Amino acid sequence: MEPSVLSSLDIAGAWVSIALTLGIFSFLYADNPVYKLAEHLFLGISIGISMTEMYYGVVRPNLIDKLAAGNVLSVVPLVMCAMLFARLASKKLGWLARIPIAFIVAAYAGVKLTGEANGNLMTQVAQSMPNLAELWRDHGIWDWSADGAGVFSGIFLVVGLSACLLHFYFSARQGPTMRGISRFGVLVLMLSFGASFGYTVMGRISLAIGRAQELLGLDKPAEEAAQIHPQLASVVCGVLVIAFLVVWRLRGGGAEQEEAA
Amino acid sequence: MLKLLLRFQHMDRRWIFLGMGLSILLPLVFPINFGFKVDERVQALYDSVEALEPGDTVLISADFDPASRPELEPFYRANLEHLFRQDVNVVMVSLWEFAPPLVVPILDEVAARHGKVYGKDYVFLGYKPGKELAIKAIGENIPKTFPTDSKGTPTEELPIMKGFKQAKDFPLLINVSAGFPGTREYVLQIQGQYNLKIASACTAVSAPDYIPFYKAGQLTGLAGGMPGSAQYEKLVYPDGPPDGVRLLASQAINVLNLGHLYIIGLIVLGNIAFFLTRRLED
Repeated sequence: MEPSVLSSLDIAGAWVSIALTLGIFSFLYADNPVYKLAEHLFLGISIGISMTEMYYGVVRPNLIDKLAAGNVLSVVPLVMCAMLFARLASKKLGWLARIPIAFIVAAYAGVKLTGEANGNLMTQVAQSMPNLAELWRDHGIWDWSADGAGVFSGIFLVVGLSACLLHFYFSARQGPTMRGISRFGVLVLMLSFGASFGYTVMGRISLAIGRAQELLGLDKPAEEAAQIHPQLASVVCGVLVIAFLVVWRLRGGGAEQEEAA
Repeated sequence: MLKLLLRFQHMDRRWIFLGMGLSILLPLVFPINFGFKVDERVQALYDSVEALEPGDTVLISADFDPASRPELEPFYRANLEHLFRQDVNVVMVSLWEFAPPLVVPILDEVAARHGKVYGKDYVFLGYKPGKELAIKAIGENIPKTFPTDSKGTPTEELPIMKGFKQAKDFPLLINVSAGFPGTREYVLQIQGQYNLKIASACTAVSAPDYIPFYKAGQLTGLAGGMPGSAQYEKLVYPDGPPDGVRLLASQAINVLNLGHLYIIGLIVLGNIAFFLTRRLED
């Protein structure tokens, strides 16, 4: 394959990307104008892309093209869309917006309800009662090679789930037995929250690694990195951001944050 | 020692950020290798792709954005490589507005490396808004949901789409999911209704929510976060990457290990400091 030759615009884009990444990272030191600039650029561009995609993905094919083709029924969503903005024209007409909102809520509730009932409630409840004989046959008590699957895990699942549900059952007297079950339920919940938190931390570190790979040019093919010089860009932009922060602090920037802290 | 622990408890949080930054940057500059194993869920995902025959066609829903790129792009690249290597055709859609500029160049790049022809061996049908409603529509009628592909060709005229009208016509649906709408919505809206085979690669944040779907058989495989991507890369490239291919997740997994060790160290140290100094303060 021919090595790709990047245009000046591509190279400038890569440098801007590195500068903005470092600008966002500067927030770790303190909220500052470089961070604000990067943040506002990000928000503006995100909204711009969303609006463009919405126009070309929704409004044009579903409304403009259909109206142009003489599809009279397309007037219905157009009118409903206009009704959403009726409140802006007059407060007296504000009630008109409730009709399309009611339509959206009802349609969405219907879609959600069937999905949850079918895919979540029924299947998951059925799966929360494992077949112990099958587990014993396939994995025994505890199978290290299958992430701990086995009879012990199956029983723990049922007992843990029951304890969690009983923790939220408020109609029974909280005697020693119920308190014990409830505490076990809390323990299971804490294990679950801990696992979720662990995954979240891993996700956040992964994102930081992704940015570091870009700053070092490790995410690009070698021939592209040789044209962009990402490490040089990182050093230059890093020095500029630090120099700005020094000048900004010397001129009294961030004093209010320090006082508030 | 107690003074040190007291100072540690009131340390400026920016030192922690600096330490985190170093624990990420240093192993990237001076690589280390801890090694890692492939878990059952990723192996199942790999096996479900391996089970496809040459000439089969899969539906990929690429639903991620630049923010989740480090976790999911490595999987997405390796998955395309895996599919094209087996001569499996790819029909791709997206429910995320930021996905097309990210996923289409990679699709074209990997397809070109395997000499695949657009419209015959692979196609990108475009972005569809509507979230769960779009997923329901994909389950019911794909040409109606995507009347044209991303280049404006009518979907029904594309050779690759002959005989594929609904999601259930595909032997496998692969969802690269960064959140909502994504794997959860595919499972709830159409997996059960059409008895679809769905495999998912998701962000680490979503993985605990999707593991029950895998355990219940609603997903045929699951690759969670950067480790999932790295494990999939390991299966697709058992002898290492060919020239010009970068295994970003495999490179990052060792860095991730160090990052975790750093955080575990801080948690342990923080707790020791807390319990020792609490007694002192009392």
